[in-house]
Amino acid sequence: MDELELLKKDWNKSNTQYKSFSDSDIYKMSHKKSSTIVKTLFYISLAELVFWIFINFLPFVLSDRMKAQLEEMSHSWIYIGLNILSYAVIVLFIYLLWNAQKSISVTDNAKKLMESILKTRKIIKYYVLYNLLIALISIPISLYFSINEHPEISEKLSTASSTQLAMILLITILVTAVFLTLIWLFYKLIYGILIKRLNANYNELKKLEV
Amino acid sequence: MNKELEHSFVEQLQKHQNIVHKVCRLYTNNVDAHNDLFQEITIQLWKAFPKFRGDAKFSTWMYRVGLNTAITLYRKSKRRIDTQAFDSVEFKIKSEDYDDTEEQQLKLLYQAVHQLNDIEKALVFLYLEDKDYREISTTLGITEVNARVKMNRVKKKLKTILNP
Repeated sequence: MDELELLKKDWNKSNTQYKSFSDSDIYKMSHKKSSTIVKTLFYISLAELVFWIFINFLPFVLSDRMKAQLEEMSHSWIYIGLNILSYAVIVLFIYLLWNAQKSISVTDNAKKLMESILKTRKIIKYYVLYNLLIALISIPISLYFSINEHPEISEKLSTASSTQLAMILLITILVTAVFLTLIWLFYKLIYGILIKRLNANYNELKKLEV
Repeated sequence: MNKELEHSFVEQLQKHQNIVHKVCRLYTNNVDAHNDLFQEITIQLWKAFPKFRGDAKFSTWMYRVGLNTAITLYRKSKRRIDTQAFDSVEFKIKSEDYDDTEEQQLKLLYQAVHQLNDIEKALVFLYLEDKDYREISTTLGITEVNARVKMNRVKKKLKTILNP
């Protein structure tokens, strides 16, 4: 006899073996807090968004001198333009995240549901990548400008040999890259653990299409 | 939330709760995990209930939400260890054991099904519930042909687990 047929016979006759929950049990349960991956992902996404917004504001909070410098810069159109751009990006990501979140429906078919969940995660991935890229670009640039603004440093640098300059540049880039890679790895680790199963299940269905 | 809606939901779920229990039976292997999954499916059903139009049967709708919740649930590490402990139990099936009683066979079969992955379990579940390939394919979001192919693979896999 086919194994599954045997199982099916037993499956349908074992209807009564489960503990029956009463109306009030079910009522209580339906009002408990959900612990699905969608909820978890949403909270992590929110935390990440807040984190990067906070990082962007950090210079204002950190030091008065920076604040003064930034205020001075605030008259330049490049600074205003960049600011508008960065806020637009934040708003865009919040909008995309909200949309993706809304499209997750537990009543879709399994494949579609997993697709929507993974899409939400991808949006946050792009947001983090965007921030890392901005950091990678802006750290050397701001370093360059601050050296220019401080005559005592630039004087010291002008006496340095070209190999020394190259070394400084190399070290700056290296430190920046290592720091950003660490953030990226940390991020990969969190999501790697969280969506390992989901990815496996999604790939299982996806595999069939090939 | 609407009291009437709530009442109708609780009443219907109470009547059809065996469907949820059966999902939990395939996807969990201890009482705590079973009840946790039951609760999570109940939450998801209730959240989705206002959108339930009644154009499908309530039970059919439950299959979908129940399986979706089981497939996408993030299991905490505690439970993962449980599963591993269960999975690592060795199934040494000698041919004389296998031809033993039907009861013994069933026990081994359930253990074998627990070793399948989440998608394979969903297929087995729908098969055991006597769903046709059309419904299996729409529930999982694959084509009917692929559902058949996958089902055959699952059958083969079960055979291999049972007769290594």
